[in-house]
Amino acid sequence: MDYTVRDGDGVREVFLKGQLTFEADDDFRKIIGGMEKDRSGAGVPEMVLDMSGLDFIDSAGLGLLVLANNTANRCQVRLKMRGPRGQVREMIEISEFHTLIPCDF
Amino acid sequence: MDSAAIDTCAPDARSTGLRALVGRPTRRGAARLARWLATLGLRHVDVAVGGEEVQALAGRRPDLVLLDSGLADGRLIARLRAQAGMAEVPVLVIGRFAGARERARILALGATDVIERPTTLAEVAARLRVHVENRSLDRSLREVIRSLQGFHTDTVERMKVARDMQLALLPSESLRGELQRRYGVRLDHHFESSSELGGDLWGARALGPDRFAVFLCDFTGHGVAAALNTFRLHALMARIELPGDDPAAMLEALNGLLAGLLPETQFATMLYAVVDTAADRLTYATAGAPRPLVGTPDGGTVVGESVGRPLGVSPGATYRNREMAFPPGSFLFLFSDALYESRDWEGRPFGYEGVQELLRWSSHDYASHEDDAENVLAVLLERYFAVMPRPLADDLTAIWIGRKRD
Repeated sequence: MDYTVRDGDGVREVFLKGQLTFEADDDFRKIIGGMEKDRSGAGVPEMVLDMSGLDFIDSAGLGLLVLANNTANRCQVRLKMRGPRGQVREMIEISEFHTLIPCDF
Repeated sequence: MDSAAIDTCAPDARSTGLRALVGRPTRRGAARLARWLATLGLRHVDVAVGGEEVQALAGRRPDLVLLDSGLADGRLIARLRAQAGMAEVPVLVIGRFAGARERARILALGATDVIERPTTLAEVAARLRVHVENRSLDRSLREVIRSLQGFHTDTVERMKVARDMQLALLPSESLRGELQRRYGVRLDHHFESSSELGGDLWGARALGPDRFAVFLCDFTGHGVAAALNTFRLHALMARIELPGDDPAAMLEALNGLLAGLLPETQFATMLYAVVDTAADRLTYATAGAPRPLVGTPDGGTVVGESVGRPLGVSPGATYRNREMAFPPGSFLFLFSDALYESRDWEGRPFGYEGVQELLRWSSHDYASHEDDAENVLAVLLERYFAVMPRPLADDLTAIWIGRKRD
């Protein structure tokens, strides 16, 4: 998985690309770590995971989304998903993850 | 036997130091040499006078042999090499040699190294030290290898026991036979872990005269951690009173139990189904499980709906029951995601559409009323593994349940 980050007006957009699987663990945990507040208490109020560039997700990938959701709740970050397609959309719908993390299809 | 063995430490010096064998034509200077060798770490030194004694003392398995060139005729070195445990032991020959050709001849006979006289103790010490160090290293390496081999053997043995325990969680052949007879169905299954242990579990049980339940559960990941979770689930399902005849209520109950047990990133997908042979109906609920495939008596295939959070993700998740007609001649095909997520030789996932197509081909005879008894699953998997490389990257479980025609 590759990713790029774009920080805008109170929103951090993370564009995910490739496959969200166990191999993405390190990178995705870095993204999740970005939700933690720094020492001054400043953080990202909202994070959008743009999934339009993802073409595959497996159960380990879903596990990372759970981790992201739990971290977001703890750090009071509004977490959203956007634009999953193909197999990724299918997996999110089957697992009802869009009811866990709001998703713009 | 006239030998001068010098022990410089406890009797079991062999376990702490190396043993040397010195072969000389006469006894002159032997004791001094032995003492000197002891200072190099060769704690146990046997001095043999003459070739016969050299061979006899080689039975003590020296780690290094230092032969005087006067004894080093071809026969002695060859015989030494032929003795048990002596093939790899360094044999050094010290003396005067006629020239380079002579030295080469001695090396060709099986000597490891030659030390030319006149020499100094310092030179001999340096040459010996190299061989002594190599020998020690070799010995400790062998010990490491032996210990690793032992560890490996133990692990394989333990894993085999664990694997047998895991297989024992699955429905027995006698239960399968009983369900088949009692409900007029054919029930085939395939359970294949990607390593010794897997994260899949399936089960079936009778609910009443016309109804039985079947489920397939797939924990995240594979290997030991995922396998431990299958034991958890099995224990929960065996020991706790659960609403086994209501799939959605069953998943809700299991989710509530697992949500408190599983670590943050671990969860399970599950499909739980109840087959009612009196009402010709299939009721099922899913928690993130692959969509089930149902074959109709006329040869068609229906893709079942599947929506529901995986078990263990959120404590309060709710699930929905879905119903499908399931008259005689129908079949239900359940499988873990490995079936369509596994990749072929070119690295492409097999795909859910691929599974549908495979099922259509394999169940053709079943649908055409020719043979109720055919093992559709075996046919399907044979075709599958003709194009898919083993081992799969994830655990594969597949269950095929066909209702016999009236």
